[in-house]
Amino acid sequence: MSARTIAVPVSGAGLRMAALLLLIVVYTLYSTGPFVWVAAMSLRTTTEIAANPYGMPWPAHFEKFASAWFDSNYDTYFLNSVTIVLSAVALLTIIGGMAAHCFARYRFRFKSALYFLIFSTIIFPPQVTVIGLFQIMVDYGLYNTRVGLVLVYVSIQLPITIYILEAFFARIPKDLFEAARIDGYSEWSIFWRISLPVAMPAIATTVILNTILLWNEFLYAVVLITEDDKRTLPLGVLRFLGDQLEDVGMIATGLMIAIVPVVLIYVFFSERLIQGMTAGAVK
Amino acid sequence: MTLSRTVGALALAAGVCAAPAVQAQELTLWSHWADQTAKVEFVESAARAFEQANPGVTIKINWYQKEPLYAALKTALTAGQGPDIFYAEPNQTEYMENGLVLDLKSKLDWNNIEPWAIKVWGYEDGVYGFPLEAWTVETYVNLALAEKAGVEIPVEGVEGAAFVDAVKKIAAAGITPMAQGVADRPYPGAFLTHEILVKKLGVDDYASLLKGGDVKWTDPRVREALDYAKQIIDAGAFPPSISSIKLGEAHRYFHTSPGAVMLQMGSFYPSRAFASPDEGGQPKDFRLSISNGPVPEGAACPKCKTIAVGGSFVVNAASEHADLAAAFLNSMATPEMGNKWLEANLVQTGIKADPSQITGDKAAYLQMLQAANEGASYTFGIPVQQMQGNPREVFTQTVNQAFPSGIIGVDEVIDMMNGAY
Amino acid sequence: MASHPANTGQDRDHANPPGVIAAFLFPALLVYAALTALPVLRTFYNSTHLVVPNRPSEWIGFTHYAKLWTDAIFWKAIWNTLTWAAVAPVLEVAVATLLALCLYAKVPFSRFLRVAWFTPVLMSYVVVGILWMWIYNYEWGALNTMLRAVGLGSLAQPWLGHPDTALASLIAVTTWMWTGFNMVVILAAMSSLPSEVLEAAELDNCGWLAKLWYVILPLIRPTLLNLIVLSFIGKMKIFDLVWVTTQGNPLWATETVSTYVYKRAFQWSTFDLGYPSAIAVIWFFIVLAGVLGLTALFRQQDKLEY
Repeated sequence: MSARTIAVPVSGAGLRMAALLLLIVVYTLYSTGPFVWVAAMSLRTTTEIAANPYGMPWPAHFEKFASAWFDSNYDTYFLNSVTIVLSAVALLTIIGGMAAHCFARYRFRFKSALYFLIFSTIIFPPQVTVIGLFQIMVDYGLYNTRVGLVLVYVSIQLPITIYILEAFFARIPKDLFEAARIDGYSEWSIFWRISLPVAMPAIATTVILNTILLWNEFLYAVVLITEDDKRTLPLGVLRFLGDQLEDVGMIATGLMIAIVPVVLIYVFFSERLIQGMTAGAVK
Repeated sequence: MTLSRTVGALALAAGVCAAPAVQAQELTLWSHWADQTAKVEFVESAARAFEQANPGVTIKINWYQKEPLYAALKTALTAGQGPDIFYAEPNQTEYMENGLVLDLKSKLDWNNIEPWAIKVWGYEDGVYGFPLEAWTVETYVNLALAEKAGVEIPVEGVEGAAFVDAVKKIAAAGITPMAQGVADRPYPGAFLTHEILVKKLGVDDYASLLKGGDVKWTDPRVREALDYAKQIIDAGAFPPSISSIKLGEAHRYFHTSPGAVMLQMGSFYPSRAFASPDEGGQPKDFRLSISNGPVPEGAACPKCKTIAVGGSFVVNAASEHADLAAAFLNSMATPEMGNKWLEANLVQTGIKADPSQITGDKAAYLQMLQAANEGASYTFGIPVQQMQGNPREVFTQTVNQAFPSGIIGVDEVIDMMNGAY
Repeated sequence: MASHPANTGQDRDHANPPGVIAAFLFPALLVYAALTALPVLRTFYNSTHLVVPNRPSEWIGFTHYAKLWTDAIFWKAIWNTLTWAAVAPVLEVAVATLLALCLYAKVPFSRFLRVAWFTPVLMSYVVVGILWMWIYNYEWGALNTMLRAVGLGSLAQPWLGHPDTALASLIAVTTWMWTGFNMVVILAAMSSLPSEVLEAAELDNCGWLAKLWYVILPLIRPTLLNLIVLSFIGKMKIFDLVWVTTQGNPLWATETVSTYVYKRAFQWSTFDLGYPSAIAVIWFFIVLAGVLGLTALFRQQDKLEY
């Protein structure tokens, strides 16, 4: 605030602006540099990369994408990832939303105990519970099935989804619900037509979070799925991570295939996120 | 019951099973080696041949990387599930301890298997694994770079201070003396130290040392051996980046870029190095030699080295098709198959094979490997295969990693290893 | 659906119909009970038993817990994980707040930057791990290449290979990865602030820093708390990144509780799940205490200020 003297307003502000821009440029390089590097490598062969890791993708080997897609079963992995992640995220949003709404709106016995119980399990290291989970999946006949993986994904992301949504639902003014009740809304339509739309920003957050985390999920995908036809993309990348030779070029290509859809979803969603927030801003 | 089973297995094994196809049966097999084409082809072709010979039988193989395979197996077996046949290595005694794998003693034709390989898979009264892959620890030499540095690393190895001098000379020439990398494996950094140790102590005392027997890490001979290894390390033997180099990269470091004079590696070296150059293989016209490596002064057994049984197949104790599974393994236990394995993979096998039968362009390498093992006596398994639990963990962190990277010295190694048992 | 209004005698019973509550909770509780609670209960059970396949489990009391006390690797892992969980959330949320403020203030190219800063979190830990191993590579890695290019070659070192730098290097990776995510959430929170507040601050001729400190931060405190807690939990469970890059090396400098649990459960040659389960149970209570502590701390501050 001391810079706010009248004598040098232009140069002071200009300097600060320049420093700010410099910081922004540096941080942008830090955050995107690795990504740009991978993108460049995805178009180069491993031999080229070994010769010069920082070369330009020239000539660009677009055929590597085709080869990853068709020869390495990527089309199957991709489709599996899309179906499994989309189903899980949709289920999560509805089931988690219902539970969060319930925790935020109603009073009932053992509410805080129940909430605490659900929330506390996200703390457990999955590396250990996976064994118990496996036994249960076998008992239910869900082992090595896509449906099973979807349900497991729902279960692992459920607490965090409820946690985020509950915090948001709880901040919606009570009057809104009282008014709706007087207008004759059923409990379900209060949830469906008031809670959910008003909570759009929080829902967008959980959708983005869940999509990204599940799209990249690895441990359960390895342990619960044994057949190649049912595997998901994170395992696809691993195909190139051989013991034999780290096929840097193909890993980069596989990575780009896995990452581009998520970037697109994000680009799309981040716009919606802003819109949703301005439209649904709670006054 | 067991008798009829055995008879059934023998009938199948002998290929007498000309009787009309019984019913459709599916054998499942989970294996490592997902990206080792030659091994995949070997097992797949054996499977197809077995299916041909046994109508109605199909063999379904899932190929994994090692890490995911072990995770999947551990969960599946704990739940009483899992494939009929799976990949295992002989150090995984937990399978036998818990009765998860079938005793194959009476089910396989062991006449075609090397006696030492049977011994490695022996547990209590049974024999549990079909030893497909075996390997020795070798010191590979890049002849062109050795000449450039003006040193000679002969087949019989280099004794005592002469080896340290050679390392110094190579380093002074601006060349890395020994390529190595420990970023993704718990054992390669320890090759140098444990080969010196086994030569210094001899097979029995060495085993006693690893297994926590009478020979302790505080033994003066152990200190001498470690001091010798430390001299080699301090002479600049390893690349400064040893901790971040992976096993596959170490190969490439040795033969292509930047190049090193030596590489201590399992004799599975060809599975990577004999691929085409753009798949990470050694360059065309690469001149390779194999040496006995550094031999410590006062060695109890200068010809001692390590042989390890690697990838093997075991039969799930919970399998409903145990006899059929054993029969399939038996179909691979023939000298012909042994030679086929050698020729395709250029790494030893527990199946009795005859390398002299092999002709063609790879014969020269196999002869070289044989020459390097002339008159050798072996300890079975590298240390991480002979140790369990805490000693194994401490060994991995110290002798495999921190010691060759120069982070810790001889005293710390002795202290930490001594405290680990 | 009809409920008896009699059970509590309060006048707001109609607002809390048990049938509706049950219906709303049922699907979540079903999934939770079947796929989360059961495995966790099993873990508790395992931690006091000797569990071996094909044999009935044997009750051994708290033997595993007693053994933990003298397990040096376990303590090392706890120390590393706590360091990570203490440093990373603060770094992430602090940097993210500043970045969010830049975007909120509409610096040029905001829309591009919002995506650019977020990209790291879109990659899986497996890929991030591989990528950063390349970056930290001693010979041709980006970090050392840059250091050498600006004449600081003497600082070049195997970042993940030395006990002194390995953990810090990995913390830098998680910060790189998660800051963008935190930034977006904070930006969302800032954007939903009532504009009057900021306009009022504008009239007071407040600088951006002052505005941030006195107006914005207090208003988005719940969001910040959530993010810190989330990040804290994430770091307390961190596994994949370590597993792909260092597996706890060198000399346990990057061993975390989760990697140690995994090693004991899957890598040490044993089928005994008891010991790793005991670690998981102990860790569960430590993390829980941490989360409750954090929450209490923030609540306390809320009370003090208003």
